[in-house]
Amino acid sequence: MERMAESRAPHGGERIMLKRFLANEFNILTARVFLGSLLLIASIDKIADPLAFARSIEDYQILSGPVVMVIATVLPWIELICGMAMVFGLLIPGAALLSGALLFVFTLAVLSALFRGLDISCGCFSQDPAAARIGWAKVGENVILTAVSAYLYFSPGIRFSLEHYLTNREKNP
Amino acid sequence: MTRFQTSWRESLAITVCAVILGFSYTFVQEKGLFAGPASARTASGQVSAAPQIIEIQEALNLYQSGNAVFVDARHEFDYKLGHIKGAVSLPLAEFAAKSEIVSSLPRNRPIVTYCDGAECSSSVELATLLMESGFTSVKVFFAGWNEWRNQGLPTAVKE
Repeated sequence: MERMAESRAPHGGERIMLKRFLANEFNILTARVFLGSLLLIASIDKIADPLAFARSIEDYQILSGPVVMVIATVLPWIELICGMAMVFGLLIPGAALLSGALLFVFTLAVLSALFRGLDISCGCFSQDPAAARIGWAKVGENVILTAVSAYLYFSPGIRFSLEHYLTNREKNP
Repeated sequence: MTRFQTSWRESLAITVCAVILGFSYTFVQEKGLFAGPASARTASGQVSAAPQIIEIQEALNLYQSGNAVFVDARHEFDYKLGHIKGAVSLPLAEFAAKSEIVSSLPRNRPIVTYCDGAECSSSVELATLLMESGFTSVKVFFAGWNEWRNQGLPTAVKE
């Protein structure tokens, strides 16, 4: 009904097109799989070696002490669960809110390191100290991923998701 | 329930699961927080000690002894502009690509890594990689190139 009303509206065509593009179930699915896969990939190295990840966090010179180890223990699992939730389509708003918040904090950390002139590796996907150094490209990348999280948070579509399948099964057993 | 309340609850549930899984996994696997206190385990499971950080006086003593090999972890461009006299260039980013330099380093002499100074960590990271490659006497001159140059100690441009 809403779509029909929108299509009849004589003005604001571009806005409606953008709205339709964002509400398109296939676009939402693409965004979910894209962000979910990235989160899954990012979590693997960190889970495998929490100490190396803790070292990467310390390189930012923002946190130190036991809190770093706690973050290095928990954060990769948040990424893993959020990634799986997005790919399979469960708890999407929660996963999107959490990943958006994390990516926002990561962006601030990278920005702060850049402004302090730190020459460190990101620690984002690989814990290899010889991996790519942080730079403005990383800030851009994080901003885009935060925007994708926001998009998933606000998008209403849950088609092609486990949640959709489970809801339908409850309605039509 | 509003969207925010729902997503907030879901986020909390994900975080609680992550805390339980994270602590359980590291406990069972003896990783991270639950790794042995005196040793740092690498991804491959080898046990290695952390590289020793040294001050300028000790770096200078090692330099004057003529026994230590100084390794410059900065980019080659910076090395060409100026480096500790006699230092070998081994940029951290090219560690894997320059394996011939790594294998040419003496294993029976102390190795001292350095980068620009306190604002960089590549000296520590390079030292860790060297220790993981089997070098046992690796030290980090953390104050690095800036301190060495400020003290007016021997430097060279691309040799």
